[in-house]
Amino acid sequence: MIDKIKNFYTQHKTLVILGLIVMALILPLLIQKSSIMSIIVKMLFYVILASSLNIINGYSGQFNIGHAGFVLIGSYTLAILAQLNISVWILYPLAGVVTAILGLLIALPTLRLRGIYLALVTLGFSEILRLVALNWTSLTGGPMGIKGIPSPWLFGLQSTKPHIYYYIVLAFVIICLFTSYRVINSKVGRAWMSIREDDHAAMSLGVDIKKYKAINFMFGAFWAGVGGALMAPFYKFIDSTMFSLDEGFNILSMVIIGGQGTLIGPVVGSVVVNSITEIFRFADEARLLVYAILIISMMWIRPQGLAGTSKSVIANRGIGSKKTNIFTRIFDKKGVK
Amino acid sequence: MYILEQLVNGLCQGSIYALMAIGYAVIYGVVGLVTFTYGEIIMMGSFSAFYYFIAFGDNLLFALVAGFITAALVGVIVHKVCYQRFLDAPRYISLICTIGMSMFLKNFATLVFGSEMKGMPTFFEGKFISLAGIRINYLQLMIMGIVILFSVGLTVFLKKTRIGMKLRAVSQDKKAAALVGINVKNTTLLGNCIGCGLGGVAGILLGVYYNSVLPTMGGMAGLKAFSAMVLGGLGSITGAAVGGVVIGVTENLGIAFASSGLRDVFAFALLVVVLIVRPQGLFGKKGN
Repeated sequence: MIDKIKNFYTQHKTLVILGLIVMALILPLLIQKSSIMSIIVKMLFYVILASSLNIINGYSGQFNIGHAGFVLIGSYTLAILAQLNISVWILYPLAGVVTAILGLLIALPTLRLRGIYLALVTLGFSEILRLVALNWTSLTGGPMGIKGIPSPWLFGLQSTKPHIYYYIVLAFVIICLFTSYRVINSKVGRAWMSIREDDHAAMSLGVDIKKYKAINFMFGAFWAGVGGALMAPFYKFIDSTMFSLDEGFNILSMVIIGGQGTLIGPVVGSVVVNSITEIFRFADEARLLVYAILIISMMWIRPQGLAGTSKSVIANRGIGSKKTNIFTRIFDKKGVK
Repeated sequence: MYILEQLVNGLCQGSIYALMAIGYAVIYGVVGLVTFTYGEIIMMGSFSAFYYFIAFGDNLLFALVAGFITAALVGVIVHKVCYQRFLDAPRYISLICTIGMSMFLKNFATLVFGSEMKGMPTFFEGKFISLAGIRINYLQLMIMGIVILFSVGLTVFLKKTRIGMKLRAVSQDKKAAALVGINVKNTTLLGNCIGCGLGGVAGILLGVYYNSVLPTMGGMAGLKAFSAMVLGGLGSITGAAVGGVVIGVTENLGIAFASSGLRDVFAFALLVVVLIVRPQGLFGKKGN
């Protein structure tokens, strides 16, 4: 079924994209209930967060599992600076820039690290940032969090209602996906993917690995920061418990379930995961059990994710990864021509 | 004196971390995969002991043995679900599986055992000995003793017995081990069970030390075990033990010099610094 959808998409590309955009634009007119609209806005947040993690994990093969730390920086930057009466519109990109600088600061010393070591450093940073946010009471409000974060004004309307805030987030989602698409199909994106496939081969072909890894981290961190900044005015309240490691794992699961290394994967992942957790909300605590089982069964049945290609190395586990040589592997991957 | 007492606390806590890290190192060495379920296995061991204490009285020895077996059995499930199928697959697949499994066990425990904090029985009722003005609890001495006992036992087991030799062979090179006639599949399973069992014992000690068990206690514990192992050098058992003690002492000295809310910051900051300066860990070999 997934292949059929893909075929349809490749045949009617512009039509599908136009249809999706029109649908996204008129969606708030069709849905009256604020509660459902909030869930959709939440999905859009996670589209940005999962996409930004996908840039780091999916395209350059670095393993970041502490993504919640970046989101935290974005959220707190906006929440703290908004108290100084700076316009929220300026703060969205500013939060992204601050987070990108932090991403660079983390990337610089860790460029030598690979795989599990890098994963552990990102995990450690995420936890350190959360604990600092929890304990630095004068700046972050500590366990009390920050309340009363103002919403921006859009065409003379204050965007407190999810129906209006939806358009702001949607705009950022489109910008995020579009810039990601452009970057991935540029020289930079090809450099990332060559590093993902084989960093030694990439180095021998003249790819400056350190530079591109740092750019990759910054780009991912930037969008994570923007995503975090978007969340703060919508919830009007942030505290450190919203950015625990579980939150990072949650974003990671969305990327994996959707399919890493594909542009549409995080979108699918965010929609699927958020829908499932909302559908099973009646089951209260047990819904996380359902979620856990979903993650495990996904890895058993379709480890490349819902949107991942069935031709990928991961799909033919073990057999494909060993016997094919490096060049066939590169050319088998979707998105590399 | 306060600093010295914190040092003793740090040593005791560090010894629990060390046992956790040793278990993790055994799993990592034999299975060759990183796991995020380990914290939940520690929690399961702790909870099993809580129920053994209720059912069979406050018999610590029995609880330790039974907790070891229970955690090892949970380890079998984890092995079947998360590792066995994915030993040759890209590593992140099993990693995500362990994240899912950890979520499953944590929420399972919350549902079945309840989310509230449960009290463990107290041992020795706060009796202590004074050494040059420093108070050392009997409990702390006992915990350190148990940890040393288990570590020495494991080392002897790995060095002197045939099964231990098999385990070491599998952790060095799976293919070569298979070539000389070792059943790699079963040995991997056994190694995972032993590692999980040690984690369960560490969980019991943690529960007894803090007098409490919680379904969410596993997350931080597993992270500490992981950090301690990486700090010492991946897969090295001595390294893991030293890493655990170093993290425990750093944390408690951190409390002594700054606020107690920042204790985990010190542990992770130490880890990050060590990884940046010496990525292979304190005892790891280069190029590992």
